[in-house]
Amino acid sequence: MALQDLILKLLAFWAGEGCYLAPTYDMEVGAGTMTPDSFFRVLGKKPWNVAYVQPARRPTDGRYGENPHRVQKHHQFQVIMKPAPADIQATYVRSLSALGIELRDHDLRFDEDDWESPTIGAWGVGWQVMLDGLEISQFTYFQQAGGIELAPVPVEITYGLERLEMFLEQKDDIYDLDWSKDVTYRDLRLAEEKEFSEYNFTAADTSLLRVSFQGCEKEAAALAEEGLLLPAYDMCLKCSHLFNLLDARGAISVTERVKMIGRIRSRVNDIARKFAASGRGD
Amino acid sequence: MEFLLEIRTEELPAAHVRMALEQLDVKFQAELRSAGIAVRELATGGTCRRLVVTADLAVSQEDAGVVVTGPPKATALLPDGTYSPAAIGFARARGIPIEALEIVVTPRGEYLGTRTVRKGKSAAEVLTGSIPGIIASLSFPRTMRWRESPFRFSRPIKGILALFDGKVLPVAFEGMSASDSTVGHPVFAPGPVRVAGISEYRDKLVKALVIVDFDDRRKAILSQIEERLAPIKARIYPDDELLDRLAYNVEFPFVFQGAFPERYLELPIEVLATAMREGQKLFSVVRDRKQLPVFLGIADAPGDPRGLIRAGNERVLKARLEDARFFWGQDVRKPLSERAAGLKNVVFQEKLGSYEDKAQRMKKIVGYLSDRTDSAKVKKEAVEAAGLCKADLLTDMVREFPSLQGKMGGLYAKAEGYPAAVHQAVYEHYRPASLEDEIPSSMTGALVSLADKIDSIVGAVGVGLQVSGSSDPFGLRRNAHGICAIIIEKKLDLSFHLLLDKVLSVLGDKLLRPKAEVKAVCLEFFEARLRYIFEKQGLRYDLVEAALGPGIDRIAHSFRRVRALDGLKSSPDFEPFILMAKRINNILKEAPACRLDPERFIEKEERELHSNLVIIRDNAGPMIEKGDFARAQSIILRLRPSLNAFFDKVLVMAEDKKVRQNRLGLLQAIRKLLLEIADYSRVVVEGERNGKPGNPR
Repeated sequence: MALQDLILKLLAFWAGEGCYLAPTYDMEVGAGTMTPDSFFRVLGKKPWNVAYVQPARRPTDGRYGENPHRVQKHHQFQVIMKPAPADIQATYVRSLSALGIELRDHDLRFDEDDWESPTIGAWGVGWQVMLDGLEISQFTYFQQAGGIELAPVPVEITYGLERLEMFLEQKDDIYDLDWSKDVTYRDLRLAEEKEFSEYNFTAADTSLLRVSFQGCEKEAAALAEEGLLLPAYDMCLKCSHLFNLLDARGAISVTERVKMIGRIRSRVNDIARKFAASGRGD
Repeated sequence: MEFLLEIRTEELPAAHVRMALEQLDVKFQAELRSAGIAVRELATGGTCRRLVVTADLAVSQEDAGVVVTGPPKATALLPDGTYSPAAIGFARARGIPIEALEIVVTPRGEYLGTRTVRKGKSAAEVLTGSIPGIIASLSFPRTMRWRESPFRFSRPIKGILALFDGKVLPVAFEGMSASDSTVGHPVFAPGPVRVAGISEYRDKLVKALVIVDFDDRRKAILSQIEERLAPIKARIYPDDELLDRLAYNVEFPFVFQGAFPERYLELPIEVLATAMREGQKLFSVVRDRKQLPVFLGIADAPGDPRGLIRAGNERVLKARLEDARFFWGQDVRKPLSERAAGLKNVVFQEKLGSYEDKAQRMKKIVGYLSDRTDSAKVKKEAVEAAGLCKADLLTDMVREFPSLQGKMGGLYAKAEGYPAAVHQAVYEHYRPASLEDEIPSSMTGALVSLADKIDSIVGAVGVGLQVSGSSDPFGLRRNAHGICAIIIEKKLDLSFHLLLDKVLSVLGDKLLRPKAEVKAVCLEFFEARLRYIFEKQGLRYDLVEAALGPGIDRIAHSFRRVRALDGLKSSPDFEPFILMAKRINNILKEAPACRLDPERFIEKEERELHSNLVIIRDNAGPMIEKGDFARAQSIILRLRPSLNAFFDKVLVMAEDKKVRQNRLGLLQAIRKLLLEIADYSRVVVEGERNGKPGNPR
């Protein structure tokens, strides 16, 4: 089964569970949680069920295409269900069976792992799901986003698609994966990994990144003031990625790091408060 | 009668299972005791998916006699001996024939009344009423909400099974009703399992691949480990914490064995063990203290029929080891000394500056400590280690495996060719990580560890961070325990007061509170920590109080003091001696300091007591100075006969002021000598113990 078959099966499975299949969000994000289809929709009372594929960029994980497991861009399959159905854990386990995994031949474990994203003021309680020692998913009952207590409580399930596919194909090198019958991960991604590693670690212009960060931060505040909350949030996502790039360039000291994350969070929390106050999620 | 409760949950963290089971035990015991239900036996058990209480209880509370009183005898009976209207009314209201009423005697007088027996509440009723409250009261370090309810628990609760004497208790909790049904292992036996009693519960669950009791699972794991490793004459690298955690994490343990390519054996054993333990929770395997390219893992399954569990774990481990090898190769390219320069960008604590600042302070403190502990010959090495020891925070390996901090620095320093006194000190400087952990074996390691920890404590207190209740974000208690353990075990004879002064002056303008205040808080904090450590060693609290009485300037001495007292406590001399010390203390309570003048003695007994005191003081003095309190104490005990004679024959509170003051002066001299060993007046002796404690502090 190629990676795209895995995606198709997950889409079909979760559509069957009542999820709306969202298109991938068209901006750089570090995790599927950060896209508006997750972030805004978990706020408020309105039920929401969604599934989508989201590329996740983590510039510091770049390895110039030389590490068989680490890449600066990987793909997540993101599921949000609000409120979390009572039997959601069993449903998740069924999704693995739907992928053809014969669970009785394996060791499936839910290992405590409390998840937190300080940049978007979010945290939750849950597990990393381990299959024969490999972390294949993150399973989280969201408690807070944008600094706001969430009620009802949504569940977030994030499958690491490359990880899962390496498990299914029993391969040791990410670049040996098949994306489709005749396209390999190497064909698609190796050159990209090399170029972006170069960009992330050496070529990116740090002074431009800094100026851009400040510009986006300012814009986020101004847009939020005008009540343009979705564009304001996009600016925060830009800030977050610019910050990650500066971090990869080694241009941020530890003190500065905490401060910059705090700056993004306070913008995001402000947007979340305004969104909640407007009743748009109820 | 059998009581069985099972709270079924989604996977709880291992530590939470342990905490919850402890709380369930305590709370059910207390609840049943206060409800008057006799508990013949009560036990808890469980896995990450179920918390279980089993008990053998009395069927109900004892029946109780109840007296209901009506009108007083005087108004109940008319002069002619017939009942008054008040009495008739009372009988009617109670629904009792009037002839059945009797005269009852109460402390308030005689009344017309009736005696009935109140049936005791049934245990089933008591349990049904108390189970919801007990579940709701369980506390965890972190809790969550799920769905729409504000109720919080460690993880979602899936169901409740509650039986008493084979019948379901009608417990309702958070929208759930208790039943007689549970489920087996979620992958291998997910169907419902109905039970009527405790032994059936255990038996049916074992068939459904769930071993309910923690100890049974732990034993099963150990025996399977033994089975796997006996043929290759090897053993696992002992890790009780991991073993316990896994025994909670699985319902049906299966131990599998895997291997990794031999080329990774080039990596230090610490790195191999950590890569296995963290993330995948595998045990590393050693033979003759050498790592083998083998590991053991524990699956939550009855077996590994197709070898897929082993193969999967091997693949993941290989990837981690490959990463570790890459990190090692990267890290050794840059010397530690060069790396240490980058510490100026790493914040230790906002107000206390960077790790570079901390390293500079540590160098000064280590220098001071070397001079004060006869370690001048390793001073150079210790100071060098202090400067290097935090540099590994900037290595890739420590970033990936934070628990290897210190150890990696030591390994890299060794690879760079630093002398043993330096690399060992770097390696060991976080030790001891807990009261159970070993202290650094090298002297340089001990000095660097002390400097690191005392800098953290005084610094934190100095900028206003306080330890309170369960909150200790800076690990100050652990650090203080480490300092005490090192000083005691290494027998370091240094003045703690002067050390604090030195650290305060090194911290200088980083301090936001006056030095005297910081010092006082630190002393109080350490006194409390010593009290905790000694009591944890099983020493009696009053002996600990007595030993801490003379102050904690020499921490190693405090330890010897309490040991000396503990050694004496079962001797026949102990109690009379303590009573004597208390007597002296009582007499001197209000007395101002008095001058002692041997010329003023009148009675033979006071003269004798004084000359004995002089001799004993001369003999005991050097031993006190050395810290040999046990021997000093045995010498001082010899004061008793002459003290006895003194109290028998001499009136301390004499009429003549000068005579009186001289006698008080003599007792004060004795008390001063005693206080150099311990404050004996704080020891509690028989008869006193059940009443008020010797000292309320």
